[in-house]
Amino acid sequence: MINLLWILVQDAFWSALAAMGFALLFNVPRRTLLYAMISGAIGHAIRTLAIQQFGASIELATLLGAMAVGIWAKFLAYRMKTPSMIFAVCGAITLVPGVFAYRTMIGILQITSVPIDEASITLVAVSVNAIKTGLILVAIAVGIVMPTLLLNREKPVV
Amino acid sequence: MNDNLIIDAIDQRDHKPLMEREELRDAISLSLWAGQMLLQNGADTKRVEEIIHHIGTGLGCDWLDIVVQLDAVIATTTNNHEFRTKVRRVPNHGVNMQVIAEIADLSYQLTNGELDRFQLRRELRRVDKMPRNYNRWVVVFGVGLACAAFSRLFAGDWSMFFVTFSAASMAMFIRQELHRRYINPLVTVALTALVAGLVVNSAALFDLSTEPSIALAASALLLVPGVPLINAAEDLIQGYILTGVIRGITGVLIALAIALGLVFAIWITGVPSV
Repeated sequence: MINLLWILVQDAFWSALAAMGFALLFNVPRRTLLYAMISGAIGHAIRTLAIQQFGASIELATLLGAMAVGIWAKFLAYRMKTPSMIFAVCGAITLVPGVFAYRTMIGILQITSVPIDEASITLVAVSVNAIKTGLILVAIAVGIVMPTLLLNREKPVV
Repeated sequence: MNDNLIIDAIDQRDHKPLMEREELRDAISLSLWAGQMLLQNGADTKRVEEIIHHIGTGLGCDWLDIVVQLDAVIATTTNNHEFRTKVRRVPNHGVNMQVIAEIADLSYQLTNGELDRFQLRRELRRVDKMPRNYNRWVVVFGVGLACAAFSRLFAGDWSMFFVTFSAASMAMFIRQELHRRYINPLVTVALTALVAGLVVNSAALFDLSTEPSIALAASALLLVPGVPLINAAEDLIQGYILTGVIRGITGVLIALAIALGLVFAIWITGVPSV
């Protein structure tokens, strides 16, 4: 239990740093910087919790993390009277499947250089990584947008 | 006979007070200016359309018909029987959340009647000329730290942390320099990824890094097209299929440019051997 907590604290710390870097890059208003960092920490820590504790697959865990970020962003937007996308984007960035995307790319390179009878193994590995990358991206997007779809049901103005 | 009936029907609808010609002109030029700044700085299509509409109606128009493309905004403002149409081009896309927040705030104030068209023009000019919130060196350092934090999240050790930090900071610096010189955005991304890859791989050549693949994956993350991809998904889900597809393709192109840069870095240095 303590062990899990320590993992989560570390996880939250590093993902908050990552969210901070992107918040600086995206030039968020100064008063929102801290909250954008927290949004990154929430998203990634919830994903890690779902994977470590409940054995969820990374896609499902990402969906949960992204939904948490989306809800947190909506809440903050309401409290701080500022667009929710500031918090949503900074939080979602920490969930991006960097390693899977990288492995997909390297795998594609490998296909061209391995002997033809071993290529099928590489091809399967590439497909798995590519599918995981795609599914995680979809999970991020759906999770982030879901609170907006559920909460903003007023009659459209345009 | 039939035509007269339609005109009668229009006349019976509620109209706002009649606007001067200059007022109608300002309503369309200011609302499109705001829309252009929103699109340039990474707002999603629904927000752009809504804010243009709020500003136009806030300045006294009855209605606006708005077409939001990714590289142009077209709007027609209507007041009683008078209408005006204007096209505004939207070049150079980037991300600046401060501008989005400010313009959302302005449209809110305008709807509450706290601004008139002269004040709004002054405010928009202020937002347009606003310097960035963070010094460029703070951004270089912060982005380097962010990518290094990613290498920790990808289970890299401390040597990977420092390699990623230096590679990502260097890459961010190069990106700023290329951006300032108006290099094509995709070329900028590819060159930046190349620099990040070269720094990581030269560290590996000097036996400074244990797992170059983690550092490579982490140090290229500063280029990730997060805003285009999230906006693409948001647009698609909310029914703006065309802009969603365009934003998605933009994001995919950026990802391909990242891959191209990294691949060149790997070919040049031969690390990690594929």
